[in-house]
Amino acid sequence: MPSHKSNCAKHSSNSAKRWLISGHVQSVGFRPYVFKLAQEHDLHGWVKNLADGVEIIASGNSHSLAEFENALLLSPPPLARPRLVSCDYFSGKIPEKFSIQTNSNEKSNGHGYVLPDFCICDDCLQELHDPNNRRYRYPFINCTQCGPRYTVINSLPYARCNTTMHSFELCPACATEYNNPADRRFHAEPIACPDCGPTLEFRSGNESVRSNTKTIDHTIKALREGKIVAAKGIGGYHLMCDAHNEEAVARLRERKKRPDKPFAVLFPRRGSDDLTMVRQHADTDDISADMLCHARRPIVLVPKADTFSLATNIAPRLNQLGVMLPHSPLQELISNDFDGPLIATSANISGEPVLITESEVERHLNKVADAFLHHDREIIHPADDSVFSTVSNKSSAIRLGRGIAPLELELPFELSAPILALGCQMKNTVAMAWDKRVVISPHIGELGSARSISLMTQIIKEMQNFYNVTPQIITCDAHPGFSYQQWLKNQEAKVIKVLHHHAHASALTGENNINEPLLVFTWDGLGYGDDESLWGGETFYGQPGQWHRVASFRPWKAAGGDKVPQQPWRSAAALHWSNNQTWQTDDTDMAYQAWQKDINCHNTTAVGRLFDAAAATLGLVNKATFEAHAPSWLESIAEGKGRAVTLPIEEDTQGIWRTDWQPLLELLNNNNSSIKQRSADFHSTLAENIIQQALLAREKFKVNKIGLSGGVFQNRRLSDETIILLEQHGFEAITHSTVPCNDAGISYGQIIEAINK
Amino acid sequence: MTKHEYVTLAHGNGGCLMRELIEQVISKPLANSQLNINNDSAILSGLNITGDRELVMSSDSFTVQPWKFPGGDIGSLAAHGVINDLAVAAAEPSHFSLNIIIEEGLKISTLEQAIESLARTCKEHDIAVVCGDTKVVPRGEGSGLYLAVTGIGTKPASIRLGMEQIKPGDKIIVSGSVGDHGAAIMLARESFGLQSSLKSDAASILPISRALLSFSGLRFMRDPTRGGLATVAHEIKHATQLGAILKEEAIPISEAVRSMCEMLGYDPLYLACEGRLVAVVAADQADMALEAIRQSGDYTDAAIIGEIRNQDDDVCIETEIGGLRILPELENDPLPRIC
Repeated sequence: MPSHKSNCAKHSSNSAKRWLISGHVQSVGFRPYVFKLAQEHDLHGWVKNLADGVEIIASGNSHSLAEFENALLLSPPPLARPRLVSCDYFSGKIPEKFSIQTNSNEKSNGHGYVLPDFCICDDCLQELHDPNNRRYRYPFINCTQCGPRYTVINSLPYARCNTTMHSFELCPACATEYNNPADRRFHAEPIACPDCGPTLEFRSGNESVRSNTKTIDHTIKALREGKIVAAKGIGGYHLMCDAHNEEAVARLRERKKRPDKPFAVLFPRRGSDDLTMVRQHADTDDISADMLCHARRPIVLVPKADTFSLATNIAPRLNQLGVMLPHSPLQELISNDFDGPLIATSANISGEPVLITESEVERHLNKVADAFLHHDREIIHPADDSVFSTVSNKSSAIRLGRGIAPLELELPFELSAPILALGCQMKNTVAMAWDKRVVISPHIGELGSARSISLMTQIIKEMQNFYNVTPQIITCDAHPGFSYQQWLKNQEAKVIKVLHHHAHASALTGENNINEPLLVFTWDGLGYGDDESLWGGETFYGQPGQWHRVASFRPWKAAGGDKVPQQPWRSAAALHWSNNQTWQTDDTDMAYQAWQKDINCHNTTAVGRLFDAAAATLGLVNKATFEAHAPSWLESIAEGKGRAVTLPIEEDTQGIWRTDWQPLLELLNNNNSSIKQRSADFHSTLAENIIQQALLAREKFKVNKIGLSGGVFQNRRLSDETIILLEQHGFEAITHSTVPCNDAGISYGQIIEAINK
Repeated sequence: MTKHEYVTLAHGNGGCLMRELIEQVISKPLANSQLNINNDSAILSGLNITGDRELVMSSDSFTVQPWKFPGGDIGSLAAHGVINDLAVAAAEPSHFSLNIIIEEGLKISTLEQAIESLARTCKEHDIAVVCGDTKVVPRGEGSGLYLAVTGIGTKPASIRLGMEQIKPGDKIIVSGSVGDHGAAIMLARESFGLQSSLKSDAASILPISRALLSFSGLRFMRDPTRGGLATVAHEIKHATQLGAILKEEAIPISEAVRSMCEMLGYDPLYLACEGRLVAVVAADQADMALEAIRQSGDYTDAAIIGEIRNQDDDVCIETEIGGLRILPELENDPLPRIC
């Protein structure tokens, strides 16, 4: 959508004008669109790409110029997002025709855009399946309306020579399309065909085949035989296997050392709306259907259908399934030929960035994959699949990745100095802000790994190059032990440390463009607090730069350091011990003594740990094998309407309202009630607690806007229930949508917090 | 460091705060050409002795709670500690001085046992305690018993060991399971009242160092005491900028240490050893060096556990599935960072 209206002065008859346009305007068919428009209005002049945008010079009678100008930003091609930078009268020499000029070597001045990757468009899809087309079944077909972008771009301006396609010389047929303004492949930078473009290679054991046709047959055959194939995609490799084959899925779990973590499923497009096969196994609603079919093609979390009949070990004990449709022509061919759902999970080493090179994949996954499907179009930037969910009838980002990132957002005001935000330790993203722009990187991973840190520093360097900005300020988490602290020591920029939960609250406020004080619940698993405890159940009143911690939970002591989040039983034990109750003592005697003696103990108020405690108390999960393992199993088992118990709230000596978690223990240990019911009761009790806190805040601060941020609110049951209650009480619920509510949104929140300090 | 007005316990844990304290407060005013804070001992190059040997001096002080623990006591620990510091400098210890600081109220029998145990260890290694000093401080001004030992020995002048000799690609060898001493002390100190097979590894590593001295590819030796194995890798990184990769599967850790760490949430790679040797050896001699260690005594757990990496690489542990986890430098009261 055009985000700026023309602000040109009134025009006189027969004149020439110059427009500078930025935004998403390069290689999305914008120049041909301008060309066509100029011809329709009988104008002459030119349109050309600058490093950071497009320049248009047009001359003609004043009426035509005015119509041209009005149309310019109104109906651009679907992928274009033009923004008017300036508009002046032009007094230079005007040629006799209108043309598209192609050469420009200007350097970026910070107005350039790096577009995310797009899924295959309808036109290319049709050609892909048309036996008479020269790109019939060509796995790298693309045009200006689709194809890879971010993952193949080396530098700006976006031109073939600055992408990983530079090594493929265009054949005459492709060159003709590339140079023809009337063709939809005019300056489609990754343009390719079987004669001149990338080629697939299939490897299994000693067998190796290079071909764009046979390799897909080999892949399908391997998948049908129950084998695991590592296939190179747009932003990295996927591990694939037959989603109906329980034994194959089990083998993948065993080899990847992932006993429980849910796998995403890739479905072939079937039926008039592409979703017929998806619906056999998952209950899509309008919002999830839209997201699934969107050009971003994320993984969407959708409730399992009653008719779900895929391998039961795909998403064990969860009531949701991660579903996606093919995004690249290669995935389209594989999933169409396979004619059934496939597991498609990121090929990485747990917590690390997705693998992108042939050699890395063969080295690290030689014991995981039975076969490899490579190709020779190099990936520069890894991008995992994006993940979305539906919360309270709204799409909600969980992971920013392929198709979404780099994610652009607008700041409420212009910055005087560029700022870099380093984000969080887990689910790291980084963000760069300058002028009125913020760009959030794709998901990087868990920073405890050397590869993640190195990717983080690489992305930071590239952001500086892409946009020609040098951060003068670096903002990061206040936690002293995050892995980027070492890197930070060598930076010269001024450092602004932001408390983790302030960043959550500011991310929510910034995303929703709120300019008045509000109450924000920031509930998650852990964040460094300014009182030597580990926060995670905090409620703030205020706005970015001025958050007042008005409420929290009664702190409890947990033993075991980083083992606490990995072993939910520790949270359950900590709550029971704090309440003078026993906790199963098979092999926990030493832990109990450590807890008593304060060995490796920390005080916390993290609601995420209450979910862990609940799951362990109900006997669901003692040791977590993936993040949010216990909370997601707890959520999945809940059934029916929950009966809320009121948790007492008391003001402490510093005036902070403290919710006492103690009644939760009684609720969870009530063996007269089913586990399903107790889980539902637990969720309802926390939703009710939010209402109680909000009512107190309304009385004291006259506040009506209630924000929800932090990873706990990925829990749909809790969020949906809370939002309904808030609305029933006349509150306005403010939630995340574009920016993840989890720690992936922290980098953005740090920027918003830092610029308001 | 500059932020700290007072010394904290973390200034003594072997980690980054301690290094900063030594660098900024202690070694600066004392600076001279022979003081190298990266080593636990010094070669007294100004003093001529006969033949092709050089004098080496090392000093250490000992305080441990409880004073007696499974596998040793403060006396044997003090003797082994200084023997080992000299051993990793390629020296044969010969003479010790002994300073004793006693808190009022200590049982004479405790002192007797501690000194007896120190004497026995010295005798076993043919070391003479030749001078000393004894002080008694008022109750409350010390925690029982402190021993400070300075040791002198000689080493072949031709052998040059040190972190500056380390090169990328060199292999890292450890002589036995790690963390046993730290775990045993913790268990004994907190009197968990649990039956456990945990025993300190406190012992002399002289047999091992002797076995390695014949290798031309021997670059560096260290006994991983405070801060454990991970801290040795960080000390190398700090002095040379060279990173290291340790292989999780290859590092010997006893089941008892593993399960205690699992229960308490500690990482055994940061727990002290008092009878282990870490050697950095040229890659092409690593297998032979390992064999030599195994031949030199009951060191069946000795293993090649990793290798030195390039300039500016991190200190990492390679997990079983090929992940590279960064091993952070030991911090002041490490806070959980996983959410």
